[in-house]
Amino acid sequence: MTVSTAPDLARETRTHELSAPDVPWVLIVWNDPVNLMSYVSYVFQTYFAYSEAKAAELMMQVHTNGRSAVAHGGKEKMEADAAAMHGYGLWATVQKDDMNTGS
Amino acid sequence: MAKAFKYGRKGITGQLEQAERDLLRNLFADIIDMLEPASAAHADPLAALIGLDMDVSVPTDPALKRLLPDVVKAVDPASTAMALEFRQLTERSLREDKIGALRAADLDLDSDKMVLNDEQAKHWAMALNDVRLVLGERLSIRGEADADRIHQLQDWSQADDVDSYLALVYNFVSWLQEGLVQAMLLGLKDRGRARG
Repeated sequence: MTVSTAPDLARETRTHELSAPDVPWVLIVWNDPVNLMSYVSYVFQTYFAYSEAKAAELMMQVHTNGRSAVAHGGKEKMEADAAAMHGYGLWATVQKDDMNTGS
Repeated sequence: MAKAFKYGRKGITGQLEQAERDLLRNLFADIIDMLEPASAAHADPLAALIGLDMDVSVPTDPALKRLLPDVVKAVDPASTAMALEFRQLTERSLREDKIGALRAADLDLDSDKMVLNDEQAKHWAMALNDVRLVLGERLSIRGEADADRIHQLQDWSQADDVDSYLALVYNFVSWLQEGLVQAMLLGLKDRGRARG
């Protein structure tokens, strides 16, 4: 990703986060050098209703680690989320959660 | 170059010069051409209704494949089959959604001063992103170093071959999208504040 703007990390808002650790599928968003960091943040905030801070954290994971597990859930839900990410132009895949996908 | 998109009391406003609008129209039309499905919607009304398309295959053009990626890493026969099955179920509607966003943005270009609601702004961000994905692929932007190299080109007098011209167009569209998304993020922040 390119072009960074400093996220306002101090401002914590409602987070909508699935916390169940044992759900079987995971949605991975992969880094690519074209998508803007601001745009990835916007997608995470609006599509997943993540807070600005949470969206920034996941976006930085994508940027620095090359990928991030941005959502967990059932296979069909993860596939629907992946299709939505493709609609936005983000590079996303689904896979079984093998506990090895956190970053 | 003036700031094209701004966030203010009226929401997101945009202002583009005639030459910029013409360039964007051409780019949107090019991407729509790429995305138009090769075959008409399925003759079976139920299949057409759910967007099922048994004729799809993985795009051979890497730029088109970037717009329509596999849903799983296709590393073995099982994952390759799963990716294809997902493509049969979803690729047609993905193409249609992308074409819809590009057409919507194109319509907004009819006026030189734009006022965009949330939905229109989202369509614009998606349309500009798809343009950039295709240009990025044509320019072989594979990593941050490539992106930095392309970003160096800012002067239109340097456009002396197809690649440098494409790089300048890519930088223009990137600048446009960055400004738009910053305006959209300001809008989100404002609404977050209003909600308390």
